[in-house]
Amino acid sequence: MYDINLKNVTKGFGNLQAVNDITFTIPKSSVTVLLGPSGCGKTTLMRMIAGLETPTSGSIFFDDIDVTRVPTKRRNLGMVFQYPVIYRGTSVKRNLELPLLSEKLSAGEISKRVNDVADLLGISGDLNKMVEELDNGTRQKIAVGRAIARQPQIILFDEPITNIDITAKLELKRSLKEVFSRLSQTIVYVTHDQTEAMTLADQIALMQDGVITQCAPPKEIYEKPKSQFAGWFLGNPGINFIEKEHISVAGSGINSSLFSQTIDAGSHASQVKVLGVRAEAIEVKTTQSPEARSARVVRKSLGIGGQYLLDLEYGSLKVKARVAHQLGREIGDQVWTTITSSDVIMFNEAGVAI
Amino acid sequence: MSTTTVMKPSRRKGPISFLTILGWFTAILFFLPIAWIISTALKPKNTVLDIPPKFVFMPTFQNLVDAVSFSNTLQYFVHSAIYSFTSVFLAIFVAFLASYSFSRFKPAGTDFLMFLLLSTRFVPAAAFVIPFFQLFNVLKLKDSFLGLIIFYTMFSIPFSVWILKGFMDGVSTKFDETGMVYGASRWHIMFKVVLPQVRSGLVAAFVFNIIFVWNEFLFNFQLGGLKTYGIPVGLFTSITKGGQVDWSFVASIGTLYVMPLALVIFFFQKYLLVGLTFGTVRGEV
Repeated sequence: MYDINLKNVTKGFGNLQAVNDITFTIPKSSVTVLLGPSGCGKTTLMRMIAGLETPTSGSIFFDDIDVTRVPTKRRNLGMVFQYPVIYRGTSVKRNLELPLLSEKLSAGEISKRVNDVADLLGISGDLNKMVEELDNGTRQKIAVGRAIARQPQIILFDEPITNIDITAKLELKRSLKEVFSRLSQTIVYVTHDQTEAMTLADQIALMQDGVITQCAPPKEIYEKPKSQFAGWFLGNPGINFIEKEHISVAGSGINSSLFSQTIDAGSHASQVKVLGVRAEAIEVKTTQSPEARSARVVRKSLGIGGQYLLDLEYGSLKVKARVAHQLGREIGDQVWTTITSSDVIMFNEAGVAI
Repeated sequence: MSTTTVMKPSRRKGPISFLTILGWFTAILFFLPIAWIISTALKPKNTVLDIPPKFVFMPTFQNLVDAVSFSNTLQYFVHSAIYSFTSVFLAIFVAFLASYSFSRFKPAGTDFLMFLLLSTRFVPAAAFVIPFFQLFNVLKLKDSFLGLIIFYTMFSIPFSVWILKGFMDGVSTKFDETGMVYGASRWHIMFKVVLPQVRSGLVAAFVFNIIFVWNEFLFNFQLGGLKTYGIPVGLFTSITKGGQVDWSFVASIGTLYVMPLALVIFFFQKYLLVGLTFGTVRGEV
């Protein structure tokens, strides 16, 4: 399998710089998710890897082979698009085997591959159905199956779940997770959906304004965002930001009305402008303790899985805290909170984590 | 006291509504001329001009047999078929390539180019007659199938491109890209992936154009000759055979002339409807 090496890759459309000087390696035999908001350049970057767009400057290598000008059809790829690309008026089986027909494979081999991918995706029972009979989720599975059946070196997924309805979406996500764990190909997956990224990725490459701002495994990128953008974009809700008017610096220590202890920032203390705390890092109690800070519940909403999201007010500072169960506190009630120092992330003026 | 608003129940539809009857009536009204021609073709010669007209009669195929066996009739049909089908097939092939290119590569000024393409149809046909006559004389294309085929192909291309581009735009470019990813050439994608999906458009373009070319009289008359006259011109020149109008002959040729088109339209009408939804309705040249 191939590493995908991007060297100073830039792509502009008129005045718009969609991808801006990206140098990056997508490691072989792993799932790399390009994650970012709409318009951040993730799809353009993927299309350049596929050869469907040509970089304005820079080069793309599969291992050490320069493929920048190699046409798509010679790149040995599989690709799944946002909308299920299926050939109407034909059966599921036919849809899966079509790209294999030009591969000079024996009929037995084609049949084996089609059956294998159908098994893998759980669509063996649908092989003889016409594609019109199937829902969008299953149609997308066909597109995935077609990409896998060719056994290419690299498989690209361009937001394959985005346009699938919610029930089929969960099923398809589960299938993809299963498929990814069995494949040894280099997989690049584009999405704007962080839960998809967190579920499927070996590493997430977070993109903003045409550049990759951070690349790390899901847990790491969530717990240790390198920028305010990463902290805000990942997590639901995004990270709480405590702006400079709510913090004070004394020597190497940082104080805030949010926590009772002083946080040691070492020699970087003077650079700290914003603090970040995840909603679940705020421990909420109903009883007072010496190390806890007092806050008032100003809003309460029930989240998924019985979790509650509380908007807490510490004087003029407001943050969101996630609690795992019903605390018996309502809007207007007082609660006490503590935060572990190691859960506090410090950012400088430019929004970069220190 | 509370008031309750009761929605008026919609009028129950009978098995055949008034509108259905009106629709049938209108359709039949439009079909009457054709029915008249066909019934005239099947009437015995001596009853054709009877007043009041005879609606009940013993049909005869003698008129049709006479019409077909009359000197050049069959030849006219063959001529019509040669230049109509060849030029329309050619036009659709060229239009398919052109519309794919307009739809996928979007060359600079696509909209303007599309407008230019159709602009040949803005000018009344009569304005072209003399220039084309002279041109064909100089190029020695007069009274040749090559000349007629070139002419009708040229006139059929713009409208076909317009219809097909609409269909082509409806096929996601992701089909092309998927094809490319799987190693297909551009030709393969065009003919094996996109073409099957614009089949309705191809048929619609074919039907619209064949109606035009099959019925075209003026240019066939001006640019053609004895070797290439089609049925419309043949009908016109034979109309007064024997010094007076032979209505049985006219009706017989008319019936035979309408048949191929009627069959084409009958079998492909669902494609025609799809074609019409693009709002592209053509007038005469």
